[in-house]
Parts: sequence; C-alpha cells; structure tokens
Amino acid sequence: MQVNAPHEFEAFVRRYQDMVYGTAIRLLGSPAEAEDAAQTVFLKAFQRFDEVVGSPAAAGWLKTTTRNICLNHLSRYRSRWQFFSELTRTDRPEAGDYADSLVSPLSHALDLEQAELREELERALRALPDHQRVPLVLFHFEELNYQQIADALGASLGKVKTDIHRGREALKGLLADRT
Amino acid sequence: MNEHELERLADRELRRLPAPRAPHTLLPRVMAAVQEWASRPWYARAWFTWPLGWQVASAAALVVLVTGAVLLAPRAEAAAAGAIASVQARFVSTVPDVEAPVAATSARILWRTLLEPLVNYAVVIIVLMFLACAVFGTALNHVVIERAEQR
Repeated sequence: MQVNAPHEFEAFVRRYQDMVYGTAIRLLGSPAEAEDAAQTVFLKAFQRFDEVVGSPAAAGWLKTTTRNICLNHLSRYRSRWQFFSELTRTDRPEAGDYADSLVSPLSHALDLEQAELREELERALRALPDHQRVPLVLFHFEELNYQQIADALGASLGKVKTDIHRGREALKGLLADRT
Repeated sequence: MNEHELERLADRELRRLPAPRAPHTLLPRVMAAVQEWASRPWYARAWFTWPLGWQVASAAALVVLVTGAVLLAPRAEAAAAGAIASVQARFVSTVPDVEAPVAATSARILWRTLLEPLVNYAVVIIVLMFLACAVFGTALNHVVIERAEQR
C-alpha cells in the first residue's frame, strides 16, 4: 500500500470510477447506494494498492469486486423474498438522479431523439424490480451465463431464465421503438 | 418476436447504452475515506493490512495461546477439582460429625428425586428457547428492520 502516493491513487480512481460506478448503479438501481458501493470498492483497492495498481487485471479485479459488493449489499439490506419476488420497488430513484449521472461522450454524437430513447431505456432498466434487473444486468453487461448468474444469486436456473425473460419483456416496448 | 430474437435485440440495444458517469462527488468521497483509513493506527485496521512483522507476531502469539490453553487445560481442571474438594472438606468439617452423613444423604436424596429428573428437560427447554429466540430475531430482522431500511 502506497500511502505516500495519493496522486497515483487519485489518478487510479479517476481512471476507473466510471466503470465501477456504472456497474454499481446498474446492479443497485440507486445512485446513493451505487456511490457507497463504489467508495467501498476503491477503499479495498487502496488497501492492496501495491498488488492492484500495476496489475493488468486491475480492471477485472475492480469489476468483480464491485459485482460482489453489490450482490452482498442486495442480499444483506434488501429482504430476500422481495429480491426474488414479484413485488414492485418503492424506492426508485428520481428522474433527476438519472439525468445527472448519464452524460456520456457518445450522447453528444447522437441526435436528440436517440439520446432521449437511450435515456428512457436506461431509466426503464433501473426501474425494473431487483429480481429482474440484477440477472438482466449480469447477463447483458457483465457477460455471465445463466448458470453463473444462478450460482451468484443462489437462485434456480429456471427462476433466473424466467426473471431475465420478464425483464426483457418489460423493456420490449422501448427496445422495439429503437429499431 | 420469439424469445431468441428478443434476447438478441435486448443484448444489442442494452450494450449500446452509454456508460453511466460517476458523479463529481465520488472522487472527493473516496479520497476522504482513504485519508481517514490511512490516518488510523495500523492495529485499528484489518489484520491483512498490518505490517508483515506484526502479522507474523500476532499469528505466533495466537498459536502459543491456543497451544498453551490445550496443554494447561488438564492441569487447570485438576487444580479446580482440588479447590472444590478442599471447599467441600471445609464445609463438611463445620457440620457436626453426627449430622454430616445425614445432611449429605438428605441432599443426595433431594437431588435424585426432585432435581435430577428435571435437568434433561431444563436443558432441552433452554436449547429450544434459544433456537426460538434466534429464529424470531432473524425473522424480525428480515420483516421489520430490512424493510425499514429500504424506505
């Protein structure tokens, strides 16, 4: 750990903060919780900075750590039967949180309509209940297969497939609008 | 649209979404947390972050402690037994010689008739109560506390 190298660590955080935060907010669906998770991830990285900083696997380590911290957070702080049930979430983030966090260089290259549709899709993704959003994000963004997702969530393979399918169905209208 | 087409469509469109950007508050938060952590004395941090020498020393101390406990346990047991025996002897010696056997026999009869049959039930009840409390506590945690945290 290089406590005397704060600038090096700051550069490290700047480099990876979007990736860590992006993974966290898509899994957790809440900007405040995603920020907490990202802080925890970077604190862990700092504690083993010597190993992480020069490693070519730093990005992979950060992504895996973020994913594990988010899944732990979901299982610890949200009751399991809500996590894997059909109940709808009541703690959805405000639309303003989304607009603040979603500013990408890509957006500038897109026309307004496309950008709005993407924002709407991202917002709809975050608005999905945990039990649909989390496996959907693990499948499409984290590139885990169904079995890996079932193992990570401690759910059955059938349950994971059903939840992912229902999540896609819920987004279908927005997906179709974009084609 | 069949399931496979929907999967491909969702995959393509979701991957096109721009990566969310971290808020400007994240970096200062992380740096403050890191500074706070770094300013703690080494012994107040997680064990795996201790200096190597202290990790080795603490592990060695733990081994010595456990080994000592294992080796000394029989001696401690013998010493405790000796102490109890001496207390018992002192108690018996204070009771008049004629009444001592009578008192001991009465106590033994009392123990065997009234208390000993109930000991097993008492242990079972204590264990069951403990398990019931643990289950109730866990359920309460899930139902009340975690739902309150979600709000």
